[in-house]
Amino acid sequence: MKMALKLAAVLGVAIVAGGFVLDRAAQATAEPEKQPAEDKVLHAYGDTLILKKEPVGGMFSHKSHVIEYEFSCDTCHPDLFERKRGAAKASGDYNHPSMEEGMYCGACHDGDTAFDTVEEGNCISCHGSDMVEPETIVFVKPVKAVIFNHTEHTEMGFDCASCHDELFEMRVGAAEEKPEEFTMAALYDGKYCGACHNGDDAFASDTLCTTCHIGVQGFERIHGGEGKAAAEEH
Amino acid sequence: MNVDELEKMENEGVERLPSLERRTFLRAGLAVTGLFMGGTVLSLTSAEKVLGAIGGQETVAKYPYSPHYSMVMRQNLCVDCQLCMEACVRTNHVPSYGYRTTILERYRKTGPSSQERIFTPVLCNQCNRPPCVRVCPTVATYKDKTTGIIMMDEKKCIGCKTCMAACPYNARYFNEETRAVDKCNFCYDTRLSKGLKDTACVEACPAGVRVFGDLSDPASEVYSLVHKPGTVVWVLRPETGALPNVFYMNA
Repeated sequence: MKMALKLAAVLGVAIVAGGFVLDRAAQATAEPEKQPAEDKVLHAYGDTLILKKEPVGGMFSHKSHVIEYEFSCDTCHPDLFERKRGAAKASGDYNHPSMEEGMYCGACHDGDTAFDTVEEGNCISCHGSDMVEPETIVFVKPVKAVIFNHTEHTEMGFDCASCHDELFEMRVGAAEEKPEEFTMAALYDGKYCGACHNGDDAFASDTLCTTCHIGVQGFERIHGGEGKAAAEEH
Repeated sequence: MNVDELEKMENEGVERLPSLERRTFLRAGLAVTGLFMGGTVLSLTSAEKVLGAIGGQETVAKYPYSPHYSMVMRQNLCVDCQLCMEACVRTNHVPSYGYRTTILERYRKTGPSSQERIFTPVLCNQCNRPPCVRVCPTVATYKDKTTGIIMMDEKKCIGCKTCMAACPYNARYFNEETRAVDKCNFCYDTRLSKGLKDTACVEACPAGVRVFGDLSDPASEVYSLVHKPGTVVWVLRPETGALPNVFYMNA
């Protein structure tokens, strides 16, 4: 009797499991039919986003050109763009005048085939669509670390041109690329922050050091956890 | 401990005790005496020289060492870049789990909704009355008779860590590699004894926070800073009576 029960139980499990496997197999065979063909193509090309930082930040979506407009590789390569990362930038003439002459993007972006590169309303299509205004910037060179509250300054009513590009290039990390120039001595000469932080327009750069200098401990707090940093920084 | 030995010890005096401590002691004393005398004893103790209570540094007429090595921290210039700490680690081979010098951070209210950040660099204060030296059972740590620097003799250290507990400045750590307590010695072995005039941390500081020199020389920068008229100069934990040789001021 006991044996019979055991047998029945084992059989039962086997039947259920078998049914499940069969079901899965049926689903697997059905799946490729359900999958849209476009997705497959999209996957094959990858969702490449090319973020250009030189000479100014701009974004080119490889995906939208290849998938949405169905260009083949030879539409652009190698005649307009060498098939090598950074090649256009290295050529030295990858700029708006060239585009207006019909080179690079300008081959299509001439106002007829695609939106032109001149009209003001078009700028944001390539520049700015992904350029997010930073809330705070933490400089780590030449000393670690200095905090700059970007939001606080823009909320004071400054526009972009107040600081960019004369005092600071509008590019993350630009000032830090020249740590030997981005010094307190430069600030005292009226460069960088020193243009306003001179004692007349804003507190002088040679006072209240720790207002901006958050130090290594402050830096580690910010990178150790956002919540903790936010609690400390006001 | 042997009572005879205890009696031979020098009386340390009570001049530098903060008044709170005096009161606590008095209260305990009164309670005990009161029990014996039936509560009829009224005692008052004069508190003429309670300098510890106002946090001031005791006036020292003469600096006993030559050179009397000392450091002045111009605290408000410190931005916690920690280049001093990096230089110290490089120069003195300090392991990652310890430090000879570090920077403390605290905040001070400057208004109802504003505060300022204050960084305080700390290191061994090379005290004139070093509590660490007093407790060391093997005289592994001692005050150098010439320079006044608190030295460590690694070979004598038995790793009991009593000095670490005694130090009011938390300036000592146990080095697992040498199996001995290690501490700042003003770069004596690594720099001063080789003819260099300052410590690694002083050299590395980009903001001129740390000033190092001979306090017994009235022409030195440390002397002029410590004795600058109209300036507040303070030391850390004056109530311990350790007479530290690291001074703090704002530039």
